[in-house]
This record gives sequence, structure tokens and C-alpha cells, in this order.
Amino acid sequence: MDKGIRLEDLKVGYGTSIVLNNVNIDILPGEIVCLIGANGAGKSTVLKTIVRQLKKLEGSIIIDGVNEANLREEDVAKSVSMVMTERIHPELMTCFEVVATGRYPYTGRLGFLSDEDKEAVNYAIDLVGARKIIDKDFSKISDGQKQRIMLARAICQDTGIMVLDEPTSFLDLQYKLDILKVIKKMAKEKNVAVLMSIHELEFVPAVADKVIGIAGDEVYVTGSPEEVLTGANLETMYKMTPGTGEIICSGLWNYSTSIRRLL
Amino acid sequence: MDSNKKRYKVCFLVMICALVIFFFVGMGVGSADISVVDISKSLINPGDVYMGRILLSIRLPRIIAAIVLGGALSVSGYLLQIFFGNPIAGPYVLGISSAAKLFVALSMVFLLGRGVMISSLVMVIAAFIGSIIAMAAVMALAQKVRNMSLLVVCGVMIGYICSAITEFVVTFADDTNIVNLHNWSLGSFSGINMEQVLVSSVIVIIAVICTFIFSKPIGAFQLGENYARNMGVNIKRIRIILILLSSILSATVTAFAGPISFVGIAVPHIMRMAMKTAKPVVMVPGCFLGGAIITLLCDCIARTAFAPTEISISAVTSVFLAPVVIYLLVARREVSRG
Repeated sequence: MDKGIRLEDLKVGYGTSIVLNNVNIDILPGEIVCLIGANGAGKSTVLKTIVRQLKKLEGSIIIDGVNEANLREEDVAKSVSMVMTERIHPELMTCFEVVATGRYPYTGRLGFLSDEDKEAVNYAIDLVGARKIIDKDFSKISDGQKQRIMLARAICQDTGIMVLDEPTSFLDLQYKLDILKVIKKMAKEKNVAVLMSIHELEFVPAVADKVIGIAGDEVYVTGSPEEVLTGANLETMYKMTPGTGEIICSGLWNYSTSIRRLL
Repeated sequence: MDSNKKRYKVCFLVMICALVIFFFVGMGVGSADISVVDISKSLINPGDVYMGRILLSIRLPRIIAAIVLGGALSVSGYLLQIFFGNPIAGPYVLGISSAAKLFVALSMVFLLGRGVMISSLVMVIAAFIGSIIAMAAVMALAQKVRNMSLLVVCGVMIGYICSAITEFVVTFADDTNIVNLHNWSLGSFSGINMEQVLVSSVIVIIAVICTFIFSKPIGAFQLGENYARNMGVNIKRIRIILILLSSILSATVTAFAGPISFVGIAVPHIMRMAMKTAKPVVMVPGCFLGGAIITLLCDCIARTAFAPTEISISAVTSVFLAPVVIYLLVARREVSRG
């Protein structure tokens, strides 16, 4: 494997308490992989481990063919960008400036933006449709707009791998569609490998090439959306009453067919 | 973007002018008033006149000290605010200045009692050790109390404990040299000599240049540790750099001028409001200049307001800057509510 990211027998958790065992995932350039599972199942834990917020307990993370353990922060920064659920509170920064922080790995000693950097920032801003708000104070815009800005920030970091933790949570329908459209575009046109966690299952078939379902303390099922989003699987993953999974699934597939037409 | 650059330029220009004006005001006012013309004359041609001696051996070192140390204090406060991710941090309110003061007092009493004269460098080192110990205590507390206002209260308490012990040590020390300690322990630029000014200037200038060089990772740190790491910042290293630089700066101030209240906490905030940015590339020189001007002004007031009696510089800075801190606390409360 050359580009993209591979997790091998990864064991993640906090300190000594293991949250998830034996995570094995390959994400190739151009692929979107969705991570699904109940609250607290360990989706964020996996993502945080990849971006080094948490120490991995065991196993290896291979980034663009190189074991992550041999990479310095600066190298990882040029390969993996992220949008996490954590809110940032920058003081007195305009949206443009927040997006521009994505160029950090490429700027010089004092962090001044070159013309090339500015071009990348502007490209990302236009891609997420945030042109109108670039001069506004980041702390004064809505959550949906913040999410767009954070996505633009990750995009202009210009990495081959994007890690997104619930990028669509707490947004209204149109914002969700807009954000997912951009993510899909990054994967298909810019050949980015995307790993994202998501709660809205109805959006999964429209964006995911592969789905990873977590249940208990391990990866329960891996495969195409059709293979993973079945009544039985949902019942196991979300601990639902037997029989309810089927009911949910029939509606879910109808809805997601409509969404797929919009994305 | 261009309007911002213009704003920075205007701010810096105004500050440089203010610094020059206050420099001459500071040279001129005092127990003996001296005109600007005479100041210029004696600066260019230091004669043996009485006036020239006052200017060069008393007022000039004092004014340079106020400029350099005031700037250092405010840059130190700015770094602490970034380290704790919070605008209500500063070397004084977190008890760091007072701990530095305690260590300087202890080492003075200990060494002078044995007939050893203390060099400026030893005082800085003692103050630095005190700063680092207080910093460690505050960091340990910060892990327990997430609430910043509470952390500030803890810091103020640490400050009180250190001040009380200092007072105790100074009162019971019998050496005549230590009598001077009383003035110093309240914060004062009086009696500072050219050698001390030289030592402190060298340390401060190196530390401030280092801070400026690290502007980029410091700026990234403002987005929180996690995003900074994702930008390629070595978090452990930048944390150590922030601690070392802020401690060296505040230790140098305390070693020579004692604890000066509220400059470190209030000036960075005033600069943020004036410049409308938090970018380190602008803020580091801005804070230095702003701190220098405000401290110089306060020192002028301290020695002229009730002349010939001098009041401590902290008395003056408190009157002007404590209200800014109160405003900060109140404004923050509203943010967290909304």
C-alpha cells in the first residue's frame, strides 16, 4: 500500500482501559469510510488515536506507507488533516484567519502566508461556500458556519487523508447536505482518503464506499453500506429490540435513496 | 486585511511617540525639574554639572528599567495567558511574582548574613527558581480546578502566603542592607543602578526576541493543543518554551523591581483591544511597547504624585489596571453564560 491509511490490529482506549480491540481498516485514496456505532462505542477514540490526541495502546497506524511511529508531528501534519467535535475558541480571529491556520505546515518561520498559501485558503473557502463570512469574527458565527470553516481549514491543509469526527452532527438538513457534498468532492476529485464517524445512518449509503460498524469492544462488521446496514446489524450495534431493526431499515433505505440523488 | 495592517502601523507609531514623550517627561520631572533642552544637552554632553548627575545616575537607569521591565512583564503575562488559554492570567495574580520575591528575599538574607555580596545575576536566578516553583504549583492546581476564576483566586492566595513569609523574613533580618528590601518588596524602581539595568536588559531582550521567533507555534497553540498538534506543533516543546520564557521574564522583573501588580494581566488585553488581533507576531512587540509605556507612566506618577514621598509602583498600577481586570472577569462571566 502506497497512499492512504491502514490501521493494523489497532487497540485504542484511555490509559489502561481498552475501548476497542483489533481495529483493521484500509482506506485508499478517493475512498470514504464511515464509522458507525452507538454513543460511547469508541468511534471518536479511534479517530483521536489516529491524530495523536490519544496514545495508541497496541498495533500500528500506517500513513502513506510509513508507520506513524516513525513520523514527526510536522510530517503527520502534511498527511492527515482533521475536523473534531471539540470546539475551538480562538480570540479575535476572523474566519479567514482560522481557515489559514490549515496552511501552518507550509508557511515559514513566522507563519506569513505566501501567495500560494492564500490561493489554497481561498480555494477551500469557495469550496465550502463560506466566501460571505470570511471577514467575520469566528466566535460570532453559527455552529453550522463554524463547521464549514473548520472543514475549509482541513481542506487547505492539503493532505491525502482526512479524519472527520461527526462532521454533520448538530447541523440542519441543508448544512448536512452541503458538508457531505464537499467531503464527497474531496474524495472523488482530489483523491483524498476520508475516515469519518457519523450518526445519521440515512446519509451513509449516499457517501460511504465502505462502512465499519462497531459493537461491543470490537469491529463488528465491515463492508459496503448494503452489507452493513441491515436490520440484524443495527439491532446488535444499537442494542435495539429484535424486529425493530428491520422496520428502521426499510424506511432508512427509502430516505437514503432520495438523499443520494441530492449528493 | 489591509485595514488591519494600517491599524497595526498606527498603533505602533502612536506607541513609539508616546514612549519618546514619556521618556523626556520622566527625565524632566522629579524633585528637581529639568527642561527638555537641558536633558538633551546633558545626554549629548554629560558634564560634571549637578543636573547631569541626577539625570545620568538616577533618572536614566530608572527610566530604562521601567521601559525594559515593564515590557518584560507584559510579554510574560501574554505568554501565561496563552499557556492557560485564558485572558485572566498574569505573573502577579497567579502568585508567580510573589514566589520570585520570596526566593530573592531568602537568598539575600541568607547570603548577606554570611557577608557575601549578591550579584544581579544571582538575584535573577533566585527569582527564576521561585517563579518555576510557583508555576509548578499553579499548573498542579490548574489540573484540579478547571474554572479559571478559581485558579486566579488560588494564585492570589499563593501570592499572599509568599508575601507574608517575605515580610516575616525581612522584618527579622538584622542586616542594614536588608532595610532596603522593604521598599523593593512592595515593588519599586527606585535605587536601581546602571549595572542592574544592563543585566536585566540583556536577559529581557534575549527572551523577548526568542518569544518573537516562536510566534508561529505560539499562534497555533491559541487554537488549542489538539489542533496545534495536528498543525505539526511539538506540544511538549512549546509548553516548556512558554513556561521558561514567561518565568524568565517575570523573574527578571521581580529580581530588580519587586512584584509589580496587574501590568502582566491587563496590558495584553488592552493591546488586544487596540490592535483587534491576538496574533503573536503583532502582539509580542505590541505588548512589550504597551507594557513599557504604562509602567514608565506609572513610575513617573509614583515618584512625583506625592513628592518628595515616593509611593510604590504597584499602588499606581493597581489603581489604573485593577479595574481592567475586574472588567475582564465580568465580561468573561457573560460569555460563559451566553
